[in-house]
Amino acid sequence: MCGVAGIFAYHYAANPVDGAELRRIRDHMAARGPDGAADWFGGEGRVGLGHRRLAIIDLSPEAAGPMATADGQVVISFNGEIYNYRELRAALEGEGARFRTHSDTEVLLELYRRRGTAMFGELRGMYAFVLWDAAKGAMLLARDAYGIKPLYYSDDGWTLRVASQVKALLAGGRIDRSFEPAGIAGFYLWGHVPEPFTLYRGIRQVPAGHFMWVDRLGASAPQPHASIAQVLAQAQPATGSDATVEVRAALLESVRYHLVADVPVGLFLSAGVDSGTLLALMAECGYRDVRAITLAFDEFAGTEQDEAPLAAQVAAQYGARHTVRRVSFEEFEAELPRILEAMDQPTIDGINTWFVAKAAREQGLKVALSGLGGDELFGGYPSFQAIPRWVRWMAVPSRIPGARELFELLLRPAAGRVSPKLAGMVRYGGSYAGAYLLKRGLFLPSELRGRLPEATWREGLERLDAVGLTRRALVPDPGNAHARIASLESQMYMRYHLLRVSAWAAMAHSIEVRVPLVDPALLRRLAPWIRSGAVTGKSVLAGVPRLPLPDRTRQRPKTGFTTPIDRWLQRALRREPAQGPWARAWAGELMREFGQAA
Amino acid sequence: MKVLALVSDAFGGDGGIARFNRDLLGAIAGAPDVEGVDVLCRHAPRREAALPAKVRQATAGGGRAGYALRALWRGIAGPRYDVVLCGHLHLAPVAEAISRLQGIPLWVQIYGIEAWQRPAPLRARAMHHAHLVTAISRYTRARFLEWADVPAHRVRVLPCTVDERFTPGPKPEPLARKLGVEGRRIILTVARISRGDRYKGHDTVLAALKQLVPRMPDLAYVIAGDGDDRPRLEQLARDCGVADRVHFAGQVSDSEFLDYYRLADVFVMPSAKEGFGIVFLEAAATGLPVIAGSKDGSADPLADGAIGTMVAPGDAMAVAEAIERALGAPRPDPQRGKRFEPAAFRQHAQDMLQFHARTAP
Repeated sequence: MCGVAGIFAYHYAANPVDGAELRRIRDHMAARGPDGAADWFGGEGRVGLGHRRLAIIDLSPEAAGPMATADGQVVISFNGEIYNYRELRAALEGEGARFRTHSDTEVLLELYRRRGTAMFGELRGMYAFVLWDAAKGAMLLARDAYGIKPLYYSDDGWTLRVASQVKALLAGGRIDRSFEPAGIAGFYLWGHVPEPFTLYRGIRQVPAGHFMWVDRLGASAPQPHASIAQVLAQAQPATGSDATVEVRAALLESVRYHLVADVPVGLFLSAGVDSGTLLALMAECGYRDVRAITLAFDEFAGTEQDEAPLAAQVAAQYGARHTVRRVSFEEFEAELPRILEAMDQPTIDGINTWFVAKAAREQGLKVALSGLGGDELFGGYPSFQAIPRWVRWMAVPSRIPGARELFELLLRPAAGRVSPKLAGMVRYGGSYAGAYLLKRGLFLPSELRGRLPEATWREGLERLDAVGLTRRALVPDPGNAHARIASLESQMYMRYHLLRVSAWAAMAHSIEVRVPLVDPALLRRLAPWIRSGAVTGKSVLAGVPRLPLPDRTRQRPKTGFTTPIDRWLQRALRREPAQGPWARAWAGELMREFGQAA
Repeated sequence: MKVLALVSDAFGGDGGIARFNRDLLGAIAGAPDVEGVDVLCRHAPRREAALPAKVRQATAGGGRAGYALRALWRGIAGPRYDVVLCGHLHLAPVAEAISRLQGIPLWVQIYGIEAWQRPAPLRARAMHHAHLVTAISRYTRARFLEWADVPAHRVRVLPCTVDERFTPGPKPEPLARKLGVEGRRIILTVARISRGDRYKGHDTVLAALKQLVPRMPDLAYVIAGDGDDRPRLEQLARDCGVADRVHFAGQVSDSEFLDYYRLADVFVMPSAKEGFGIVFLEAAATGLPVIAGSKDGSADPLADGAIGTMVAPGDAMAVAEAIERALGAPRPDPQRGKRFEPAAFRQHAQDMLQFHARTAP
């Protein structure tokens, strides 16, 4: 986890780069990179790159960012890890390349120098970077396929500013802070702000799996270099009988790559299958003495929701050094202002990640694996069953002219007593994208009407195009129901919600979260089995460890990391229990916090 | 490459848009791979004007419909073009139709207020089909993107350029005598004074003047430009007790501008609705300190404060302070706006044409 910053005064009329502004942007991300800070200026004063470093691979000062090639022609500010950098390095050395450091950053630089943007297919890792190519007089911005690492930019028509965080860009002080209605509408619909929008008109996210060029004429359209849906769509359904063998080999490989580091790698351990399997595979990779962290809450003591006892059993089974970190309401209340400050863009959760990362830091860790992504890949969410069912049921009614309106009219007298989602069933349920909106939606588009000023919801919904935006996660068609939901969950909920929460909540504690189950190479290996229908359910994942997980872990219903947040928030906000799901009330609070009251 | 340009007016026309069109069309015609630029004007030229090489200009009168028909006929029966350049958002529907008829990319230039709010549906739809939109300022680009369904990377900035004749020079004494401001330190505003353009900030300057006169009794305020709001401003000057030092110069011709800038000691126009404000560049090139509003396209000629002082429009105290500071400081460098010189504009306009021809589908 590092922080990248850049300013490119590309237009001939723009003022040269203001070093103080670049440093304000850079140093707002001090928590992302506590081990060092540097910047680089070039292009006759028109380009500046800044970097905050969390040293993980090659801890020497020579490996610090921003890093330039020996001839100074290419400079990069890089956030992330290239897990296969050793193989890439060996291959490049075979082509005559010489290296000064043992870092993955330098490998990335050399690979770009030789391959240009054709390099993306060779990278295995998570990354977001800003690269200056002096010979082209152009800046390259890029993000990994899943969008694990964030990268935001602001282009005012003269100057492009880029950083790992929205709030860092704002801290530079030169960006219009007017609100983006589509960002606000998106937040209410899903509980997070979907790409490419942010809460601000002037700031956009580089889309996941895309790169974009900026030259003296300005920023060009983002171009795709990887697509989750495409990997699934292009896979030939596997014909073999034993998926577990291939799943196991692919997972072992992914875990092994995710352990590449020059510092110890820990683990966020819940009582569930995903993190338990990771721990088992870490042990199988020969990784000993893993520091595993589990959160516990007094409110859950003695209940099924208490993850600590089961996690302790798993930790003991695989020889981990286990830390149970208890979090009390008092600690939560004391931390809430810091949590809100660190929240880069509003997301309706992240409290659990905040505390587990805090605990990891207390244990002296810099890097931890997380089981995030297991539900998306192996179908752990109820959406994998519900959405295909809804689409089947609603396929015909949703196409009957007037049926949507009639159904909504029929349910109008029951408004307030039945879920608004039920009323939207005919309107949205007939397609995967619409049904996904129903399933994952915090509010439905029709509910924004009374909640937001007319101009905001009207313009916001129009600019957002919620169903259209969701549908993009299904192009090209991933091929079967499981693959479609996997693609939707990976590119919507996981990308915009879970990974973003990891980015801000773990970053605040200078913890790099690594996600072996969110890996394009893993997806490519599993895609044929997803397409053949062999990977349907977490039992496939649970069956992977050579030394099996405890039965109670394998049979435990899905909870994920849970916190008593609903009760805590009500206590912290000193409110009566809210009507309806707590998340809706919390969403309103967050928007107030971000200066956009409902 | 052959370019068809639909414009309100260009060569032989008056006003800022005509001037911008002349600069742009001249720049494009100067590109080595441009064979010719056919310009179809909506308004007849007010005077004979020399055309740059490779430029042909025609007028299609007969009202809006007549112009549209003539332009469309050109698209149907005229020569094949490679790019259609539309010099005003109001002409975008016709330009878009020609772009479709000939299967060529559409480039639309936008300026200010006309592009800040969603226009009539026909125009909005035409803009959505533009392959390239160039805005005169960052502010106009941002306002346009608020309503337009056009990807941001297709909307770029092409700012005004400043005429090379604007250079520092001695105060023209005959003009000082004519206006009766000899020996005075002069605040200058150059703008229309019409009821529809009250955003220009004359009121604020008068209020600032009232605050300054007790401390700086040698001040005079010259208002260049005329319009139907003049009686109100004259009354306001009387109400502020500064009528004796406010001089309404009336309509100033293009050739007289330079003398007015050279006569002045500070240029002030705390406007709220400038698309760009080329007068700021002209004043700066003449060596004047400039004071502008901070909430509109003026930020561009002022380069966010690098070229002049930006104040909140309507804040008379801030304007007064900025004037006092400017008059107390040494004269600023007339080269500080050099970035806007014509050579840079020409190069950028030509690059934009290349980019447009290369990237449009």
